[in-house]
Amino acid sequence: MNLFLKLPIDSLHLVKNLIGQLMLLTVFAGFSYAVPANSYNRAADVVVSGTVTSSEGESLPGVSVTIKGTNLGSATGVDGKYTLRVPTASEGGTLVFTYLGFITQEVPVNGRSVINVTLKEDVRALEEVVVIGYGTQKKGNITGPVATFNADNLDERPVARVDQAMVGQMAGVTVKQTTGTPGKGMSVQVRGTGSISAGNEPLYVIDGFPLSPARPDVNGNYATGNPLDNMNPNDIESIQVLKDASSAAIYGSRASNGVVLITTKRGKTGKPKITLNSYAGTVERSKKLDMLSGEQWIERATEMINAQWAASGAGRTASQSTVDRRQILNSTLAADKQLGPNDVNTSYMIDDRWAMPGYPGLRIIDWQDEGFRRGLMQNYQLSASGGTDAVNYFVSGNLADQEGMVLGMNYRSYSARANVEVNANSKLKFGLNISPTFSITKDPGVEGKDNILHQMVSMTPVQEDTMGVYVNVGNNGQYRWSTSPNSPISKLEETSAETRRFRTLATVFGEYKIINGLNLRSTLNLDNTDNRFTRYIPYTIQGALAARQSQLTQNTSGSFSSYRRQTFVNENTLSYNKVFNKFHDISVLGGFSYNWDRFDNGEFNSNGGYTNSVITTLNKAAGITGTTTGTENVLLSYYGRVQYAFKSKYMFSGSVRRDGSSRFGQNSKWGLFPSASFGWRVKEEKFMEKVPVISDLKLRGSWGKAGNYNVGDYSSISTLANYNYTFNGVQVIGQAPNRVVNPDVSWEVSNTFNAGVDFGLISNRITGSFDVYRKDNSNLLLNIPVPQTTGFTTLLGNTGEVRNKGWELELTSRNYTGSFQWTTTANLSHNTNKVLSLPGGQTQILIPSSLDIEHSILKVGEPLYSINVVRQIGILSQTDITAGAAMYGTQSAGDPKYFDANNDGVINANDRVIVGHTTPDYTWGITNSFRYKGFDLSVLVQGQNGGSIYSLFGRSVNRTGTGFLDNVLGTWANRWRSPEDPGDGEVGKTYSTFGRIKNTDWLYSSNYVRVRNITMGYDLGKLIKTKQIQGARLYITAENFFGSDKYDGGFNPESSNTNLSGSNEYPEAGDYGGLPLPKSLILGLNFTF
Amino acid sequence: MKRILFSTIISGSLLISSCEKDLNLTPISDASTETFYAIPNDFIQGVNAIYAGLRTYPDRQLNLSETRSDNLYAVSDGGVRDWEGINSFHKTIASNPYVTEAWSADFNGIFKANTVLDQIKKNGSIITNEALRTRLEAEARFLRALYYFDMVRTFGKVPVIEHAVTATEALNVSRNTVAEVYDFIISDLKFAGDNLPSPEQYAAADKGRATKYAAKGLLALVHMTRSGPTLGVEGPGLGLNEWQDALTLLNEVIGSGKYSFIANSATQPNAYASIFSYTNENNAEVVFDIQYITGASPVLGSTFSWLLAPDTWFQSQGKNIQGGLTIRPVSNDLLNSYQAADKRLAFSIQTGFTFNGSTETRSFFKKYIDITKVPVNRLDWPINYIVMRYTDILMLKAECILNGAAGTQLDVDGIVNQVRTRAGLTSLANVTLSQLMDERRKEFAAEGLRWNDLVRSGEVINKIPAWIQAEDVQKQMQAFVKEYIIYPVPQSQLDVKPGLYTQNAGY
Repeated sequence: MNLFLKLPIDSLHLVKNLIGQLMLLTVFAGFSYAVPANSYNRAADVVVSGTVTSSEGESLPGVSVTIKGTNLGSATGVDGKYTLRVPTASEGGTLVFTYLGFITQEVPVNGRSVINVTLKEDVRALEEVVVIGYGTQKKGNITGPVATFNADNLDERPVARVDQAMVGQMAGVTVKQTTGTPGKGMSVQVRGTGSISAGNEPLYVIDGFPLSPARPDVNGNYATGNPLDNMNPNDIESIQVLKDASSAAIYGSRASNGVVLITTKRGKTGKPKITLNSYAGTVERSKKLDMLSGEQWIERATEMINAQWAASGAGRTASQSTVDRRQILNSTLAADKQLGPNDVNTSYMIDDRWAMPGYPGLRIIDWQDEGFRRGLMQNYQLSASGGTDAVNYFVSGNLADQEGMVLGMNYRSYSARANVEVNANSKLKFGLNISPTFSITKDPGVEGKDNILHQMVSMTPVQEDTMGVYVNVGNNGQYRWSTSPNSPISKLEETSAETRRFRTLATVFGEYKIINGLNLRSTLNLDNTDNRFTRYIPYTIQGALAARQSQLTQNTSGSFSSYRRQTFVNENTLSYNKVFNKFHDISVLGGFSYNWDRFDNGEFNSNGGYTNSVITTLNKAAGITGTTTGTENVLLSYYGRVQYAFKSKYMFSGSVRRDGSSRFGQNSKWGLFPSASFGWRVKEEKFMEKVPVISDLKLRGSWGKAGNYNVGDYSSISTLANYNYTFNGVQVIGQAPNRVVNPDVSWEVSNTFNAGVDFGLISNRITGSFDVYRKDNSNLLLNIPVPQTTGFTTLLGNTGEVRNKGWELELTSRNYTGSFQWTTTANLSHNTNKVLSLPGGQTQILIPSSLDIEHSILKVGEPLYSINVVRQIGILSQTDITAGAAMYGTQSAGDPKYFDANNDGVINANDRVIVGHTTPDYTWGITNSFRYKGFDLSVLVQGQNGGSIYSLFGRSVNRTGTGFLDNVLGTWANRWRSPEDPGDGEVGKTYSTFGRIKNTDWLYSSNYVRVRNITMGYDLGKLIKTKQIQGARLYITAENFFGSDKYDGGFNPESSNTNLSGSNEYPEAGDYGGLPLPKSLILGLNFTF
Repeated sequence: MKRILFSTIISGSLLISSCEKDLNLTPISDASTETFYAIPNDFIQGVNAIYAGLRTYPDRQLNLSETRSDNLYAVSDGGVRDWEGINSFHKTIASNPYVTEAWSADFNGIFKANTVLDQIKKNGSIITNEALRTRLEAEARFLRALYYFDMVRTFGKVPVIEHAVTATEALNVSRNTVAEVYDFIISDLKFAGDNLPSPEQYAAADKGRATKYAAKGLLALVHMTRSGPTLGVEGPGLGLNEWQDALTLLNEVIGSGKYSFIANSATQPNAYASIFSYTNENNAEVVFDIQYITGASPVLGSTFSWLLAPDTWFQSQGKNIQGGLTIRPVSNDLLNSYQAADKRLAFSIQTGFTFNGSTETRSFFKKYIDITKVPVNRLDWPINYIVMRYTDILMLKAECILNGAAGTQLDVDGIVNQVRTRAGLTSLANVTLSQLMDERRKEFAAEGLRWNDLVRSGEVINKIPAWIQAEDVQKQMQAFVKEYIIYPVPQSQLDVKPGLYTQNAGY
């Protein structure tokens, strides 16, 4: 509190204003370059003015001019002129001219009133290098589209995962936060999706070590690990994404989905720097699903039960009481089946307490409120870095602890990293990067179909008061009018499900300078993950009451599964860099690598329950079933690249890689992946001098071919499966080949053309780049129909083609550069895809659905996984029916009206039409950051437009004809009740008996806008002036606090946790009960000693 | 410097070349064909896998033979059920899942048989026990013939594959003539009949494997089937006169004394029911059956028992739904053909039931259902499916005689009256072919034989149109044309390589 009291009053005032205007500024607010009003207008001051120009004579707008040692300052206008009142006390002082891309200059005032300054360009900015495949390159010489995410500021906000850090930051790089479970991997896509069955995740390369590209399983989960698991974001220096094949092709058969290059921090020569980063805060749900309240549920259940009763026989009416109904029913039943005075038939009789005020003996439960909570998260990192001429080092340790937004969920990780480099002599350098990590994740099984969240949403909201939330568990039975799941709250509290993951990433490298410019580098890399999952579910929260009480621990279940994933990579490169005759900058690289992946899996389950109610390990299981499996693959590669730049004006780059993989068929072991690109730095041409407003301009063009080698480890080998049989009541083992093999099976191919422009305007006040691309994925790994005389219907082969087209814009604008700085960076990308061809010349493939008929289609000319369903167009009225409206089965008035697409007079599966596609057309992100004196504020807003969700989760909570037991969406409160009370015209009557057909009821727009992050910080360095502390910053962050989406049938439009197709051939990961995004409020502190 | 560079390149290329062999990895956890068929047991397992392919055979007979015939009138679900197109003679059933399944399942079985036969030819010496080797070859050929016989009756002309073919080879194999398919079947069955063991030569644990007499009985039926009239359709009848060949084989089966007709007795007043009893499997009537057990993992039970029974009936019995969906009603024509005293009626057919207050008046087959034996998993019923039973052998013999093979009317009457007596009916004299076929219809109701019987006898051409005329009060059925005797080639197969196969006439 003391700290705040010391703040200058006027700066506090400004901050208040800033916060007020924050929401306005987060959208494109129009770029304004007015000089900020001078608030230091004091009588005794001396006015100093002047012009700031570049060495080429251009006037520079927006140059910050400050008086050294004070907070006073101004900035130049568009004409490069500035005016500054210098207090008399500072007349002998010094003016500091700072401007991005130029060398800061200090000029003593010496009593002058006019001070003109020429700033020199900071050539280092142009010399800035970025990481590319197998090396680095001058930023100015880059010829392909490379998205850079400078992680400098990553430790200025709390980020739990590396993929989370990338959300909304780079054009063309879409990070979908597919889960709300802490510690779980997200989905990253570069320039859309081009593969149907082989995965769309990029290759991750960390400090030159290409990690095994694990893709999500059919459900969208990384059940066998994600390359970014356990990686500590605070250790990261920068992230580069190679988006097109020209830059990525050097990674060959794994690069078709783009390559993410991650560089971790290293020590810099100088005195040791010790940094402490810590933060703590709360995390909770950012959204609640609107379901019927208890009162609304009762109203609907009553209506439905009455309707069922009235429809069940002659002489039965809604007005008859429970007692009447019991009598009527008994009159039709045999003597031994009569209902006793307290017996009910819940299909035909309501609970009389529903009609009483206050529902005596009943409790209304909002299951969502019971299950969600506000969790705590905290993180502590300590790092030390530094270096001498002989050694530099970066060492860090991190502890993260995150409670989930739902009871029983927790994630804790411990990670450490040491990056050490030793210069043995002037020629030899070697080093070691090692990062051991350990994490514990607790997740009782919240997300996904029929899992706990799903039950929390659809569980009957009315229960017996005596049981509280613990219904149908332990010795509690079940409310007669309730669904039968065991209390989701008990499951959250009592299920024990824990993943312990121990992962070590290690790299040893040596570099030998053979002659100046010629370097030999060799690395050995190992990534080892050991993952153990244990689950224990006591009988008390399973099954029906009678079984719980009679069978006891026979119903307890437990399991243990583990996997070990190992990747070993040896890379050897020889590189030569030299500038000839000052102008000819040449780099040549050649190398080969050996890559080995192995995955071992073990799984053990209890069989027949447990013999003990206390011990949770499998030794107390009544029986155990188990299995272990293993799989491995080897990739051999040769690669080379030539880069040439003439005067940094004309650039050319060409690369080629040859990959051989054990995964490929006998006839196609080796693939060749070439690329070429050029760049023309137009700004360097003489004629550009006449266009001073353009401060930088570069044109780029590139082409490249890359692959996707996710064909499965043994796809080309003829394997056998079990086809068991039985003779005389005893099982016998049968084995036979389970597929017809294709000796030609190979990688998927992507061909990318890219054209781009990099530009800088007004002395680079605005910089940006624009790229257009076309990416054709062909030779897709699909099942090709074959004559069944082979024994099989299909053959895994390479066929089919998908095209992605789009453009990307990245912009950075330094709106204010004075003492008040405001920078806006924005990215916007547009991508569309369409199927160009399908296996066997088919024009469409209906993708199976795990529930009901198909709703997804692959159709030539249409986007991948287009949504193909019947269109709902209102509610059927009796007039419609009389007029002969097309109907689905036995529909009647009050049921939904569907569009008869083929105009044949009936509604059926043939009336399905394409109503949307799953991938968004536009994705965008805007970051506004402000700095004023010691304050900084940044706001990240991000969103997407143009895509749709077909939600089977939406279907589960909103179906025509859903019984009254399950709770349904709140929209049912506005349903059709009678012709006189037709509701909102979207939801039909509650008692409908025609069944259901896949229709637009479960189609939602996936558009959203989200204020991902607001971080405000204050540099305590302004207050703490001790020698020991070099820097200190206090910040507060709000994550996911604001936002809106149109997904009323679920929590998160990007969720994926269930395979909607139920097919491995055409996986379709989608939402079936995914958590909302976590909303968190966090206070953090950074210290540098 | 040069030396370093040189040695680096040398050692690098050595490393690479030694690594290249790593590109040929064999699976760690899956057996591959390269390492299998190494010990005799592998071959036995290979043959077991061919039997396993039969597990979908019963459902197929019920869907394609029983449902196609005048035994069922299952038209009333508004076109949403796969069986309606089969039952109602839709022209557009080339994509019907049942039709598609027949082609793919039979060819998969044939592929498994060919795989084993190829391996026996190549590595058969591994099986040092020559008798075992011959038996395995004969079993494989018996099963291959069974699959091909199913195909020729379903589709007429089909490609004859003697060896496992690659995808590329398969693209050049077109359909053989019906006569060629039969030649292939007959040569397999002859080999099987000559080389398979007699039932008692098998160990008890092998009960259920194909026997010498199963092969002979099946071969007899093959001869009879191709002796049926062609009716202007390419298969399965060829109008040959091989009734005597068939009779000889049938007499061998009968003369073997390995099987017997289960007659009523004091302890077993309804012997007919006992043939299908869950507690009387592998009884004296069984010449060849497909075997199932419940409780194995993965599942080795059956589904055919409830296939024709509606889910609501199971619910009315307090059981879980099984998957038969809505009712596939037994036709009035069949119901009315039973005499009141016929014990087979009540056993084979459930006439009506009430569920949830509504009464279903139509009837359905429940021949294979023992309601006390409903398994935990609806796909895991334990009951075996009898492909060929002794009563069938006897009645086929009577059919041969009536078609001119050696024998007397007395022989025929004797066989038919034996069957009728068991059913609780009075005897007939001078049984005609038509009467014989009517008796077969009731005796083998729900056993998947009806359509084949109609085709073999040629009755199909008159009986079906007349039946449609009389039965189809809902006017849901299409007109029957003779081309519908066989099914269309699955559309998916025509699409693989246009021109490789041509669609059967009429579709």
